[in-house]
Amino acid sequence: MPSAAHDAYLNTRVAGKATRLFRSGDLERFAQMSLPELSQEFGLGSILEDPGSVNAKSRAVEQALLHVLMEELTVLIRPMNAAERSVVVAWGRQFALFNLKTLLRGKIRQLDPQEIRENLYDLPPQVRLSSEDLFRVENAVELLRVLESGPLSLLARQAREIYEKRQEAFALEAAIDQRYYAELVRRVARLDDTTAQRQMRKLVGSLVDRANVLWLLRFRFAYQLPASETFYQLVPSPALLHRERLLELVGMDDQPKVIDALPEPLGSMLADAGNLMEIQRRLGHHCGGVAWSALRSGQSGVARALAYLILREADLRLLFTLIQGRLLSLPDTYVNLALGLSPAICVHQWRQAA
Amino acid sequence: MPQAMKHVRILVLREDLPQASLTLADTGNFHPDPRPPQEQQLTPLQDRRYQKEYQQARSRLDKIAQVVPAPEPDLSEIRVVGLEELAETNAWLGEAWEFCLEHQEGFRELDEEERLLDEEEAALANFAELNVDLGTLRNKTRFLEYHIGVVPRENVRRLEGALGLAGHLLFTYMERGESSHVVIVGPAGKEGTELRSVLSNAGFQAIPLPQGLDDSPEAIRSEQRARRERIEKERARLTEEVEGCATDMRDRLARAATVLVLAEPFVSLDPAIRSAGHLAFVAGWVPAKTVPELEQRLQETLSNGFSLESRKPRSDERSLVPTVPVRHRLLQPFALLVKQYGIPRYGEIDPTLLFTITFLLMFGTMFGDVGHGAVLALLAWLFRKPLGRFYLFGVMAGLSSVVFGFLFGSVFGYKELIPAVWMSPLYDPILMLQLALGWGVFFITLACGLTIFNRFAINEPMAALFGHHGLVNLLFYLGLVWGGVSVALTGGFGIAQVVLVVGSLLALAVYNWFHLQASVGERILVVLIETLETVIGYISNTLSFLRVAAFSINHVALMIAVLTLAGMMGAVGHVLMVIFGNIFVMVLEGVIVTIQVMRLQYYEGFSRYFSGDGREFSPLRLRRRPRAA
Repeated sequence: MPSAAHDAYLNTRVAGKATRLFRSGDLERFAQMSLPELSQEFGLGSILEDPGSVNAKSRAVEQALLHVLMEELTVLIRPMNAAERSVVVAWGRQFALFNLKTLLRGKIRQLDPQEIRENLYDLPPQVRLSSEDLFRVENAVELLRVLESGPLSLLARQAREIYEKRQEAFALEAAIDQRYYAELVRRVARLDDTTAQRQMRKLVGSLVDRANVLWLLRFRFAYQLPASETFYQLVPSPALLHRERLLELVGMDDQPKVIDALPEPLGSMLADAGNLMEIQRRLGHHCGGVAWSALRSGQSGVARALAYLILREADLRLLFTLIQGRLLSLPDTYVNLALGLSPAICVHQWRQAA
Repeated sequence: MPQAMKHVRILVLREDLPQASLTLADTGNFHPDPRPPQEQQLTPLQDRRYQKEYQQARSRLDKIAQVVPAPEPDLSEIRVVGLEELAETNAWLGEAWEFCLEHQEGFRELDEEERLLDEEEAALANFAELNVDLGTLRNKTRFLEYHIGVVPRENVRRLEGALGLAGHLLFTYMERGESSHVVIVGPAGKEGTELRSVLSNAGFQAIPLPQGLDDSPEAIRSEQRARRERIEKERARLTEEVEGCATDMRDRLARAATVLVLAEPFVSLDPAIRSAGHLAFVAGWVPAKTVPELEQRLQETLSNGFSLESRKPRSDERSLVPTVPVRHRLLQPFALLVKQYGIPRYGEIDPTLLFTITFLLMFGTMFGDVGHGAVLALLAWLFRKPLGRFYLFGVMAGLSSVVFGFLFGSVFGYKELIPAVWMSPLYDPILMLQLALGWGVFFITLACGLTIFNRFAINEPMAALFGHHGLVNLLFYLGLVWGGVSVALTGGFGIAQVVLVVGSLLALAVYNWFHLQASVGERILVVLIETLETVIGYISNTLSFLRVAAFSINHVALMIAVLTLAGMMGAVGHVLMVIFGNIFVMVLEGVIVTIQVMRLQYYEGFSRYFSGDGREFSPLRLRRRPRAA
């Protein structure tokens, strides 16, 4: 089927849905609203008006927003072919991996199964962890053993070996994240359509670049891991931070040198960022910019669909942050910081800012 | 007709709740209603210990059953299980699961050891072709150290980069399955923590090179054989230990299974329980005729007084009332097929009986042959174990074919073996097509009649009169059929028929017009399209039944083709052609005919009169058998 005809339906759906994305100034406007106004604007009345603890309401709002995103994902993947669908589903699997991490943390800390269950996302069948057996396990090793018999077998086996040797969640979670991005890159490489692959490399590459910069700075300079171990945790990106560049960057011995050596536009964007939070915020803007560009001028339907989902997820996260801030009655200064409306500052400057 | 249901409210003392749950489960007629009651002071139970203990114990027993055979629970005595007994059972199951887990881990370690041994053998076979001193690879030299092992193939490239940063080199010398065999070389004497950490992250597994590398290949192979034998012995020992413990644990496991079966009703009933002080109340749906029996059983088993109130379902809760499924053994496989489409709403006619009769009639007509039917019935009976209750479906469909085979006088396609009680479909195809059309008219009229009945039953009179396939639709259809018959007999449609058809169509159009919330233009468009769709729909749906005659003719024609081909061959060829031709026709046509009949049932029947959005009657029960592992 010709590409234009193949993408016609998908492009129409994406164009229709894109009208829901936050535009310039929307977030500032929402940040001025009270909780009842937000609830009315986004149709969350029934959740926020129900009696219950702040935690329960917060969880319900998060679940409702995720449900919206997952429904949109389900609608958008319907007209895609198998290879395209697998990329988008692999992106959506991040929420299943959140669930997996929640389960692991819960089992490591021996929390009550009901408490763990309450903190899991309810996901559609395409992205959820498949087995009900996962919920019946009694410790982290048993959990990883069960996972070994499913589609995450290789990840689970390595994760279990790491866990059995080190008994810590960090290495496990790092392995899970690393595998997630590597899988995403691998699935993009399997796309047959060259236009789609080119645009997806850029789009997925921006996500991988963001993760790489943050992990590199965190592992190398905050956790003081050696260069070799840091490199092993990174994922060669199909966009800017490819393998050779990562090898070069991890060998550097301080943060400013790394930032100076980053390729453009990352280098100039992060030059005066100062702290990790601000770097994270600016990288988020960069990813948003790449996604908007793919959505507005992209020629591939699947790339536009994924760009839409990335932007929609970012919007819904911001909305959740705002609602949570209101539920916890936090001062506007903190909420604006969390929303990225003001530059991120170090923790000790917060009080002063407030 | 659907079974009448009653809503039952039972008020008991809290201490009697476990016994009440057991009694309700034992009767197997109480479908819990979890809706909160009107009374504000009644709240869900706060103490969740019983539920938690049960969930954990059940999960442990299910997991244990995957390792050792699960014994049957002993339900000779129905008694209340207290929290203490449940907690003690759960604790014991925890220990038993720990034991199973240890042994599973033991088996996994042996598998892993065996896998590494395979890799080692492959590595040594590979090294045998190289002209190097392998002894040096086992030891550190003054300047270099070596690591030989396997790593998941997908991690090799990253590991190579990471090791380069740590001053080491990686060489891949062999790839097997998902693993790569690698040699890592680096400067000796460096701090090893960094290297160990990277290797561990990459899933590197060292292959230990045997001490006697200088020995003959036979000596090395014998050493490997010995290790393999040791693994096998260890596996046999573990298996024996598990079997021994399974025998020892059998009685205790049976007791645990019994405790859990007896505790389950109280846990299952939990969402429907509300309490206030010493009082608790449960609500549910019960088949009306079993209410007195339920009350009597409660009187017999509860030590304290209780109150039971029952009432008919209110009209506003009709959608919540469960429907009791058909329980007749012969109808079970057909009930499963009906369930694929949905559950009838409370009050609606259960279509299972009608489905069974019409399915068998149409299947027999389209696949009528004494031989084919007998083979189908025999196969279904022979495979009754793997097919479960569904084997009756095959037996009855086969017998229906046999009956129609006698009517058509056909045995494996041969017409001469038995005289036709009626006639072969191919002798008069036009009559067959006319009969199929008549059958279609009867089927659609019956479906519309059921639609009308069901809508009145669920108190939707306007939908019964003017809705899709309602009374006015039926009048239009009968008018159309009447007109069609007149055309065939007299050449004219007839005035009364025209009045009936046009009048009913106008009534539908007017009803649609006033029920549409849209602009005038849109209304005109929708009313025109819907009216046209009604006319075309009924005509095409009736013509759809021509396939019943078409397939019965097709069956005969296919067999004629098979026998003609057989007649053109020699003696052996003839026999082979008849056998394989019959198998071909039975398999191919059997499948196609089943699909076609299902299509007629679902599309022409169920889509008219069966909403399928009801609730299944799912009463509290004592689980008599352990869960499937």
